[in-house]
Amino acid sequence: MRSLLLAAAGVAVALSGASAQDIRIGVLYDLSGPLAAAGSIASSVGANIAIEMVNEKGGVLGKHKIVPIAADAQSKADVAINEAERLLSQEKADILLGVFSSAHAVPIAQRVDAQKKIFWITTAIATAVFKDRNLQYTFRAQVHSDQFGDASTQFLAEVAKPKLGMEPKDIKVAIIYEDGPYGVGVASSNETGAKKRGMQVVLKEGYAATSPDLSSLVTKLRRARPDVILHTGYNPDITLLLRQAREQGLRFKALIGHGAGYGQIDKLVETFGKDVDHIFNVDPVAAQLLDPKTLKPGIGDLTAEMVKRYKAKTGAKEVPPHASMGFNQTWVLLDTVLPSAIQKHGGFGADAIRKAALEVDIPEGGTVQGYGVKFYPPGHQLAGQNERSSPVVMQYVGGQTKIAWPTGLRTIDPVIPLPASSPYAAR
Amino acid sequence: MDIFLLEAVVNGILLGGVLALLALGLNLIFGVIDVVWIAYAELVMCGMYAIYWLYAVHGVPLFLAAPMAIVFVAILGMLVHKLIISPILGSAPINQLLATGGLLFFLQSFATLLFGADFRNIGLRLPIIEIGDLFISFARLMAFSVALLGMVVLWLFLKRTYVGTAIRAIAQDREIMVLMGVDPKRVYLITSALGGGLAGLASALLVLQYDVHPFIGLSFGPITFMICVLGGLGSMIGGFVAAFIMSQIISVGGFYTSIELSYVLAFLLFIVMIFVRPQGLFGVKS
Repeated sequence: MRSLLLAAAGVAVALSGASAQDIRIGVLYDLSGPLAAAGSIASSVGANIAIEMVNEKGGVLGKHKIVPIAADAQSKADVAINEAERLLSQEKADILLGVFSSAHAVPIAQRVDAQKKIFWITTAIATAVFKDRNLQYTFRAQVHSDQFGDASTQFLAEVAKPKLGMEPKDIKVAIIYEDGPYGVGVASSNETGAKKRGMQVVLKEGYAATSPDLSSLVTKLRRARPDVILHTGYNPDITLLLRQAREQGLRFKALIGHGAGYGQIDKLVETFGKDVDHIFNVDPVAAQLLDPKTLKPGIGDLTAEMVKRYKAKTGAKEVPPHASMGFNQTWVLLDTVLPSAIQKHGGFGADAIRKAALEVDIPEGGTVQGYGVKFYPPGHQLAGQNERSSPVVMQYVGGQTKIAWPTGLRTIDPVIPLPASSPYAAR
Repeated sequence: MDIFLLEAVVNGILLGGVLALLALGLNLIFGVIDVVWIAYAELVMCGMYAIYWLYAVHGVPLFLAAPMAIVFVAILGMLVHKLIISPILGSAPINQLLATGGLLFFLQSFATLLFGADFRNIGLRLPIIEIGDLFISFARLMAFSVALLGMVVLWLFLKRTYVGTAIRAIAQDREIMVLMGVDPKRVYLITSALGGGLAGLASALLVLQYDVHPFIGLSFGPITFMICVLGGLGSMIGGFVAAFIMSQIISVGGFYTSIELSYVLAFLLFIVMIFVRPQGLFGVKS
């Protein structure tokens, strides 16, 4: 009888709503503005699916419900900073999670870290967020921009001889990018990667993502005659560039995009139809593209559940990589870090979470995106960044996404140079 | 001449045509009603959505959808005047600026509510004109030609018709015209409809080249405003000339330097102009 009463009391507490046991997470993404459709909403949906799945099992360790507090950064850095402050100080969030844009992540990380609060980055990739800043309370399991630029040039170097019949030193690349921290970060790693592999960089130029006209850039690309274009941009600028490139007769052997707008294959196909066939995209992999057999048991089912829920929520046919990023990083936090913080370090305060995060040791194949998780320790140049993350090179064929690199994960023999059917193919 | 430089010049001219059209509507309204519609580019966005909705969602042929959108935005223009401008016509200019600024955010949010933050487009790919090694986009050429035609028609309307004369007269002296028996309220309403109609025309031309999203106005609003100020707010000839100066700086400047730097150059010219000739190229000192 006594135990029954206790149980009843427990249920009553549980039903009474918020309790001190609840973990409050500020979930900050761009839900409006130009970045919203470039992958930010997809990330937020992914993150919310992870929270929902954990809450359905009673929360972290079955007793700590997650209370997500959604906020909209409106695609503006100043709004993002203010919302981050509001979530932490007024909404009393224990953890700040999210952000799509690197331009938001850089200033937020500085401020939140100085306040000794946890900032868990899911999507923004700029290496600059961490590099030489010695952040203590900011963590990112996500791939970082230096890896993007390196992946595309490594892929190019590997296919140069067998596919293009060229030595890497004869390949001419052009690097174009939106001029925020995201584009600048990827572009500089593109340049380093290309030079390391002896390729010729014939043009490197940035532009504002809201530019109403990119025709002079296309003209310069035509003049520079690159074999391969390495492009980093958001959505309106990518469609503008592809449209103006077609209209101005720009030809190339391959176009490699680096995430953001290039991750939104549904949108690109809607706009350009078959014209986007055989474009490459470097990104952390969309989880559903991986072969579950290469992953730890149970991970494949987790992916399947995420995909099912994402499609049900959004009605999308293809689940973009951004959904996996939001989901995966949030899942690592809720499923690995928080339980360990509570059990081993006495709660979910910032210092307990920090200690638990630094102990995380997930081997390769242990997350839905394939890579493992181990954070660089304090004192390291990239302290707080996951040292085991890695992107893949994907290729779009007939509206489908295939993996072209690394060779071990390949689901397609990459088609390069562009076949004659492409309006961008060299003639 | 370098074929690539020629291409940059041609593209600059084509871009200039569209910018000139955008500036024309804004200038007309400022010249006559003495109000700056900060949300002008957002009206263009509304027109683009209207065409998208009619053509891509409901299958209305483009040659019908475009005039329908022009009428729609013209009506929007009248509504903006009736509901927002007219009640505060007598108050300080800053209030009018804030009111149309509020409209800007309202329209952006309303479009997000109706259509979501996604990028939409009508999925139409027009042919390309190839002259040797020179490529010209048909969509841009058409936008340029229609923009020029629209400007000529407006000019004829203002010069040759009674209403047009009344509009010009009000622009010159709004106090005296009331004594001459002209009803300024009616003229203001017609001018707002014309300004809206020009925004509608611009939307029909832009939708052929750009994706529609709730924030497309950010790409065109600031530069249009800058062109109007550079040309002299309210001066239609000034706006026309300034549009081509700006577009050539962006296009040819971008070709010789970089796109980023070309905007720096454009803004530098703008700042210098504000110091040297604050009334703008063709503006009249007040």
